Parts: sequence; structure tokens; C-alpha cells
Amino acid sequence: MTKTSKRIHTDPVGKSVPRIDGKGLVTGQTKYTFDVNLPGMLVGKMIRSTQAHARIVKIDTSKAENLPGVKSIITAKDTFNIKFGSNEFFFPHTIDQMAFESEKVRYIGDEIGAIAAIDEETAQKALDLIEIEYEPLPAVFDVLDAMKPGAPKIHQAMNNIAVILPVNFGNPERALKESDYVREDNFYAQVAAHTCMEPHVCIGQWETFSNKITLWMSTQAPFKVREALAKTLKMGLNDIRVIKLASGGGFGGKLEMLPMDFAACLLSKKANGLPVKICYTREEEFAFSRRKHAMHYKLKSGVKKDGTLMAITGEVIADGGAYCSYGPTVLAAAMMRIFMVYKIKHFRVNGYRVYTNNPISGAIRGFGGVQSGFSVESHMDLLAQGIGMDPVEFRLKNITEPNMVTVNKMLISSNGLKECIEKATEACDWKKKIGQQKDICRGIGIGIAADVMGSKMYKSHESAGSIVKIEEDGSVYFFTGAADTGQGSNTALSQIVAQELGVKYERIKCTAADTEITPFDTGSFASRVTFISGNASLNGAKDAKRQILTVVAKEHKCEIDDLDIKAEKVIKKEDESVIMTFDEALELCYSFNYGEQIIGRGSFNPTTTPIDFRTGEGNVSGSYSFEAQIAEVEVNKETGKITLLKLWDAHDVGKAINPQSVEGQIEGSLIMGVGYTFFEDLKFKNGRVVNPNFANYRIPRSVDLPEMKTILIETNDPKGPFGAKGMGEAALLPTAAAIANAIEDAIGVRIKNLPITPARILKALNEQKTLKKGNEK
Amino acid sequence: MQLKPFTFHSPQSLNEVLDLVNKLQDKKILAGGTFLLNNLRLLKKRGIKTPQNIISLRKVEKLHGISLEKNKLIIKAMTTLCELCESPDLKHNFQILKIVAKGIATTPIRNMATIGGNLTCRYAWTEMPTVMIALEATMHFIDETGKEESILAEQFFKNGAKSNKLFSHVSIPLQKQANLTYQRISKQSPVDIPLLAICAKSQNASKHFSLTRIAVNSGVNFAQRDFILEEFLNKSKLSKSIDEEALNHLDNKIYDARSDEYKQHMFKICIKNAIRELAL
Amino acid sequence: MKITLHINKKNYEVECAGHETLIEVLRDTLGFTGTKNSCNEGECGSCTIIVNGKSVLSCMMLACDCEGLEITTIEGLAQEDELHPIQESFLDKGAVQCGFCTPGMVMATKALLDKNPKPNKNDIESALDGNLCRCTGYKKIIEAVEDASKKIE
Repeated sequence: MTKTSKRIHTDPVGKSVPRIDGKGLVTGQTKYTFDVNLPGMLVGKMIRSTQAHARIVKIDTSKAENLPGVKSIITAKDTFNIKFGSNEFFFPHTIDQMAFESEKVRYIGDEIGAIAAIDEETAQKALDLIEIEYEPLPAVFDVLDAMKPGAPKIHQAMNNIAVILPVNFGNPERALKESDYVREDNFYAQVAAHTCMEPHVCIGQWETFSNKITLWMSTQAPFKVREALAKTLKMGLNDIRVIKLASGGGFGGKLEMLPMDFAACLLSKKANGLPVKICYTREEEFAFSRRKHAMHYKLKSGVKKDGTLMAITGEVIADGGAYCSYGPTVLAAAMMRIFMVYKIKHFRVNGYRVYTNNPISGAIRGFGGVQSGFSVESHMDLLAQGIGMDPVEFRLKNITEPNMVTVNKMLISSNGLKECIEKATEACDWKKKIGQQKDICRGIGIGIAADVMGSKMYKSHESAGSIVKIEEDGSVYFFTGAADTGQGSNTALSQIVAQELGVKYERIKCTAADTEITPFDTGSFASRVTFISGNASLNGAKDAKRQILTVVAKEHKCEIDDLDIKAEKVIKKEDESVIMTFDEALELCYSFNYGEQIIGRGSFNPTTTPIDFRTGEGNVSGSYSFEAQIAEVEVNKETGKITLLKLWDAHDVGKAINPQSVEGQIEGSLIMGVGYTFFEDLKFKNGRVVNPNFANYRIPRSVDLPEMKTILIETNDPKGPFGAKGMGEAALLPTAAAIANAIEDAIGVRIKNLPITPARILKALNEQKTLKKGNEK
Repeated sequence: MQLKPFTFHSPQSLNEVLDLVNKLQDKKILAGGTFLLNNLRLLKKRGIKTPQNIISLRKVEKLHGISLEKNKLIIKAMTTLCELCESPDLKHNFQILKIVAKGIATTPIRNMATIGGNLTCRYAWTEMPTVMIALEATMHFIDETGKEESILAEQFFKNGAKSNKLFSHVSIPLQKQANLTYQRISKQSPVDIPLLAICAKSQNASKHFSLTRIAVNSGVNFAQRDFILEEFLNKSKLSKSIDEEALNHLDNKIYDARSDEYKQHMFKICIKNAIRELAL
Repeated sequence: MKITLHINKKNYEVECAGHETLIEVLRDTLGFTGTKNSCNEGECGSCTIIVNGKSVLSCMMLACDCEGLEITTIEGLAQEDELHPIQESFLDKGAVQCGFCTPGMVMATKALLDKNPKPNKNDIESALDGNLCRCTGYKKIIEAVEDASKKIE
């Protein structure tokens, strides 16, 4: 039996090498922040509002302070009351949250302070002893009500609209008039939760003698957390060290500093530097972390008889909850994605990101694209239907192409969308199936999508860096700021480094996401890591290789450019003759004559232009990835039960650095999309989550799976590392629409509200019956 | 700390259990733990007092095991749902127990949860009561003096499933001729708790239903029989259209009147499926 | 009270209170942090271990109630630096992403294969129905179980 652990991988790019951190994970030896227990460690708990909207009259912590075992209690008076948020660069006025509120609370769970005690029990007891007097204010929970004049005012924003994004191109009025067919549809996509298996957890320690902070945490973006901490604590970036340990999933939920991170540090300061661990319970995770924006989509579009998409107009309203978080950019992403997918000249959609007294909506895998994917791709099918055109043909006629500039100035280079559609439709036997299986209540539907790889959301740059340090024994120490929360970025980036260096993958030791040790990286979001951090890693490896070859060239009196390293050997490029092994080369570098340290550095910042949110113009990403997805369903008309038979996903990934990982990302996305389509629905009553547990908020289980087929399309992007593009999120975007479209093909009813439940199917079937009867009369 | 402090007792024999039960005031019995531990956590979270004593039955050998006697099957209280699924003794009409047990919750839960817990936890949506009522099972308890008492499952649930005695086992009569079916509908996936479950039995003879027994659990009340439906079926021939007709002969108060249109619709499908199966 | 727990073929004498759950004693007292817990209500399966050959949830058991039982945790699988074939398969087939559910998945798999060395796809899906994974979409986990079943032959 060949053991994984003993297999050797040279030229690892394009190969499914095992995860670099895999052994620790399968043996349970890897320590997550969740597992860490430091000497003297205290347990921290957040003091939260029990009111959805209220003025704080009085906070009395005295009883809790006198409880034995309580080590520190902090409230707003211990802070500088500095606001933080996630879209400071683009939307400075949406920086609206403070770590602790002292005047007013805006949702059930709003942080008012925090407690640290010797154990969980004492902390909980102390929480119960905190007395807060509120003066309740009228609250608003429905996003449409919140926009009405006279609605309770949550922040200063007029009609509770935190951000309006008017995106306007061409002359949509005229284009609609010139259309042969115009239709209007309303869609609704519900709230969902991330449900990372490892809950939010952090350990803060404030070294009182040096006034320096260390924060160990489960995060997607340690450098962003560091920045927010520095700002809110009025400290230098260099006073704070954020260390990401193994992280049990992120999915957008661990992308920001939360008040808990701030609290862990400040609690530790007040407790004379004892470390403080704050770990969310599953209930807190559902109720108080972040959630997906519920979105109302109104779309009115026109097409020509030949299928030409003339204009898209409409409105998007997003329930933002109590604070902005990433909301404004989520809304923007929900609106702009359409330009990457469809060639459209005339466009006018207004987006509204609205405050309510619900918990905070923020980033979640797909970043607005899931809600828009459902709405837009359902709408496109209805448009095709209106002119009697096959939905695939309709899409092929209107999709974007390689090397084009979109109406809002996105520069699309590689684009495999057409191939994705062709491959997916071929694989599923589209022509034989579409419209042909109604007698057995089976149907097939398509959805297409595109995604960015990066978004310039950190200040004005989005650079990533790398250090490749090679020791005398040939060990390659690779440092990256990218945060692996399970997607496998440490593995993929190490593959890139090994490939470029010409050594086996097994040589690489990867250290990642520690703000004091590794280079800067904005974090794991917007499917950016393979593309941006990947290029940075490639550049670091190139630099290190050049340093080695410089020494070898000197020794052998030849030109550096004549040399290369391949398969662990330094070779002459022209005849591939071996000069020495990699190990010998390193011995040479560190020898008496040279004593040359090999420390490569790499940096990468994609050449993009940020979106101008007044117009919607800009090229947000260095490249774009594409996909086509097809769902086949069978519907039981008696019970409304939908069986998802199979999903096909053809994905333009540029180049699969690790095909197995890429498939894993796609399959994980698909199933997350399936869960969202059919049952994930975080429900609220008067601002309180009513289903904060896995029994009542169902995520897919092993028994809920459709068959899945992934098809990787490699377009070799000219700017990607070895041609690779980002792909961590796109597969989730069109799933709901592909399924809704398939359902219509099967039984002729259209579901426009998610989730698609059997009850909704039956209701739609009944309405269809009534309508038919009416028509017959 | 997930639970509030209590004293843990691990008696080795039935006598020890009874001693403890008699001696201790504030106590709860622990079987598989899948209900009790969550319940204790919930009480703690809500700041409600939890019992001072927990008595585990795990080590009491007399409460474990399945045995097939002449005309009846005995399932002891501590038998896990998984043991039911794997037992070679569950033949004939008892196979329905396997079908029901296999459909409850998830694998690790089935490996822990016991028949005793399922029958006496007093959650309306547990699934074993329905099948026990249909199978005319008898539940056996032991009182504080060690005396055995028994009660028909049907009666036990009719009385509100209350008992301050120790549940020891359930016995089920063998009925080789019986035609049996179990139908359940769940909200989303089979691992979810059922919205409605029906266990139906009939000894079909000369193209007629006979001796039918229909036990229904609509998730709100404890499982109970639908006598109106039974009576109707007992007078009916086995026919194709019988399932549709039967819908006009239901004891409507059983079927959760507050439920929405969809649930009502699904109830009907579930009933029809059961009757169709029974008519086979 | 003082109890003896038989974990991974070794005896551990533990001082523990009656109300402590097995997961608390495993993780906090004995340091077996390979076993995770993600929900503490028996829904997620992260805390799955094997007790007397069956996959069970350690968040739903009292430590004191486990005396005399044979407990296996994820730490009891690999022999020194040799991974257990199931662990090998999870790595080979890409069944691990964030890894937080992995110990529970591996233990559920072991319990299945010990009882049924040749499971079909339905058996596997059913054996893992108590273990939530948010990353992989389960497909590669199921493939890993199939692969392990072949190896163990």
C-alpha cells in the first residue's frame, strides 16, 4: 500500500496533492483556537441588549463586580467610543458601529459590554447580575416598512436608507420601448446563516508591561482585524499581533472584527494581562454573528424577438439589520455581477441598503450574488420563455466574451462562459431533456454566473505578499498572509511555490496569517486568494530561485538566465543538462565562499480600478471566473416534494492548481446552494431569531445529496498564477435559479420566493389549476 | 460546565434502583440520555431548577435485552433503537419496529436512544408510541415495592403518559396474520421529526378489512387511535378507491386542527398511503 | 467522584463531578481535544466517538456513566506516525477542508466499517447522517469511506 504521507510530488501544480495540513486534521492533533487553553485563561462573555430598539438609561455593573471570580467588566466608558465598519474606503458614512453602545441599542444582541471571570459559570452568573435600564423605542423589522416616511429612525439616515446605489447606463426607457417583449418580476431571497462548524472564538491577551496585544482567533482576515483593533483601541498596528490558528470554516462570517475580539483584548487589560477567551455558543452563532441579507428584487427587462437582451431595469432592497457591516458592498456586488455575465448596454437598477432592528446582515459566501443569481437567472428564463426561445440559446446569445470591456468598464480577459454552457448542456443531454419530461414531472434548468477575484475592499490597495526562505538543508519555509479557513489555500499556495522553485511539494513548510511574522494580506474573501496571494507567492518563489541561481551561475561562470531549477535539479536551459541537485545548490549558497542567505520576497497588487459607486463604473477585479450550472429535478405533484436528481457544474477556473481542492470548493458551494434553495431560512419574530439551532435551522446532511458532476474548464488566464483564477464562491450563485428553472420545466409553475418548499410548490400548483379553470370559462 | 450540579447514581441492580427511587426526593432517571441531557441544558439556560439526583439505568442488566417468547416479544427499557434495528428476534409483525426505529433521528442518536426513553419521555412527537398502540403492546412498570404493573400502551398514552413508576419493558403480542404499515411525513428530510405518523394494522380476510387498528400521531397530542376510521374500514371491502373514501371517515380532532393547509393536505396523503398499503 | 475511564485501550483515573459530560472530561480534563463540539445538543456530530463499537455523541453522555465502557476517540486511531487507513483515505480523497467535523466523520466511518466492511452508498450516507459538514458537500467524504472500505478489505 502506498502511503499518502510517503508519496513525493514534483511539479505539483495541476496535481491533487494531499493537504499540507492534512495529517494534523485527520488525527485531531491540529489545535484550533477553540481547543487552546492558556495558563490563567479567563472566560469572557458579552453583555447584550435584550431590546430591539431602546435608549440606554442606566448600566449598573456593581453587583456583578462584587461577585467572587469576576476579573473584569467593561462597558463603553472603558472605550474611546470609536466607530468601526467594513467599507470605510468607499462609504465612510457607513462606519456606524461601536464595540459597545452606551446611548442606544438597535437590535436584540447589540453589545453593551463584556465580562471576564474565572470560569463559564461565574461569567454567566455575573451576566445575570448586570442591570440595564432601557427606555424602549418603537422598532421596525420589515425592510419595506423601514423605508416608509415616519418609520422609527434607527440611525441618522433618511428613511433608514444607509446607502442608495443608482446604477445607470445607456437609455433603458428607449431600449424597453424598442423591445419586442417586456416583462416584470418580483423575487425574494431569504436570510441564511454561515454555520461554520467552529463557532466564532478568540483569545485576547494584553501584555501590561509592554502594552502589546496578542489575539489568537478563528478568522478570514487577521490584518483587517488588526486594523480595526488599532483604530478602536487607539493603538499602533505594531502594538497588535493577530494570529490565525487552524480555523473551522469562515464563509464570510469571520471576515470582520466583531465586538467580541475588541472585548477579549480590553478585558485582558483590565484583568492585569490574563488571557481572555470568548467563544460563541451555537445559539449566539445563529443569533448574534452576521447573517445573509434578505433581498427583494424587482426586475423589468426587454428583449427582441431574436433574443437580444435590450435593457434591464429594476430595484434591489436589502434588509441590512442594525448596522452596515459589509452591507453597502454586498449590495453593490449583488447589482454589478450582471455586467460580468451579460452583454448589456441599457441598464438602470437602484439599490437600497436599509437599516432595520434585526441582527446585522453582512458578508456571506456569494456576497450578494446568491440573491441576485436567483433573481436574475430566474428572470432570464422567463424572458426566454416569453419569446419562445430555449433558455440556453438565449444565454449564448447574450453572454460576455473573452477580451471585452463591459458597459461599466470591467476588463474581461479570459472568459470560458460559452464553453461552460456548451460543456454543461452537452453533459446533461440538454436538447433531449428540455421540455421533454413533463409527463414524468421531470425538468431541467440552467443558471449561469461569474465572479470576481478580489475587490479592493481594504483601503485602496489589495496587495498580498510572500516570503520564501530556504535554509542550508534545502528546507523551504514559505510565509503568506493569506488565511486558510479550510478552503486549502496553504496547500495551493505551497504548490505554486514548489512548482516555481522546481522542487517537490513536500519540501514546503507553510506559515500563514500571523500579522507579526507573515507578509500583509487583506484576507480570504471575494475568491481572491489563489489569484492575488497566488501571484504574490509565485513572485516570492521566483525571487528565491533567482538568488539561488545567482550563486550557481557565479560558481559555474555562466549567466543566470541560462539556468533553471526543475524536478529538484539545477539545469542548463538549453540542453536540460544537470549541473547539481537542489540540495547541493543550497549547500553551495550557504558555503564558506558564498554564505548567501536565500530569502525571496514577493508582492502582488492587481491592476484594477475601484468601482465608482456614484456611477457603477470600474474594474473591480484583475480577472473574472465563469460557470454554468444545470439542475435536473423531479417533482411529486401530490406532495410538492422536489427530488434534486443531479447538478452539473462547468466552471472556468483558469487552471486548477489542485483539481481535487477545486472540486471540493465547487461541491461544497453546490450543497450550500441546495440548502439555501430548499430549507435554510433564518427566521425572526420582532427582531429575535426563532430557530437558532441545527434542529430548526436545517443545513444539508449526507442524506440530502443530489448526484453532482463538476467539469473544470481551463482557460489559462494570462494574469493568473500558472493561469489560475479564483473560484471559491461562484458555484453557489446560480444553484437556486437552476433549480427553480428546472421546476418550471417539470411542472409549469414558477417559484419566485425562496426557499422552495413543498408547501410553496403545492400552492403554486393550486393557483395554476385555478388559473386554467378561469381561462377555460 | 454544561449542566447544573447533581449527584450521579449508578445502581447495579433493580433493587438498588428501587432503593434509590424510594430514598431520593428530587431525582430523574437517565436511560440513553438523548432527551434528558438536552432537557437539563435547556432548564439551566432558562435558569430553572434541575434535579438534584440522576439515576442511571445503564448498569442494570435486567433492563437490557430483547427476547422472543412463545407468543410475544419482550423489549426491555434500556434497549437502544439501534439494537432494535439489528435484532434477529424482530420477525413477523415485529419487523415494523425495525422500520420505525431506522427512521428515527440520526445514526449516533439511534445508537444511544432507548425504547424506554422514547416511550416515556412525554414528547408528543416520538415515534414508538404510535407503533406500540397499533401492535396492541403492553407497557410494564415496577412500583416502589418491586411489584410489576402493566397497562396497555393505548391506555397509557390516553392517560397522558404519566407514571411515577419505573418503566421496565414492553411486551407485544405476536400476530402473524396481521397486515401492517407505518407511514410518516417529515418537514424536510427523513432525519427531521415527523409532522404526522400513522401505524395501521388489519387482518384482511376474504377481501375485507378486519380487526383494523389505526394509531395516529400528529405531533401535537400523544399518539391515539382513530376509532371512526377503524370502524369504517372494518365495514369495508378491499378496493382501489377505499383510500379516497376513507378520508370522509376520520376523527378530525386527532389531526391537529390548527395546522396549515399544507399540513392538512399531507395528513390526507399519509392516511391514503397507509390505507392503500393495508389493502394490499 | 473518582472514576476510571477506559479510553483508547488505556485506563485513566479521573476526578469528576456527576454532572460533567463526557465531552467536557475528554477535552478539558484529559486534553483529548481532537474530539470537537459544535452545538452541544446532539445535532452536529462533531463530538462523535466510539463506545463499545457504536458511534455515539459525547456531548450527550455523562462521564460518570461511562465507567466500564470501551471508549475510542480520534486520538486512538493512528499508530505512532502511521495513519489509520480511514484517515489515509480522507486525505487521499480530499474529504477534509476545515477539518473541524473530520474527527467525528472519521469515527462515524470507523464504527460503520467495523460492523459493515462493505457498505453501499446508502449505508454510508445513513451512517454519516448525524455528522454535519459545511465545507465539502459530503461527496468526497463518501468517496473516502468507499476508498477506506476497499483498503481495509
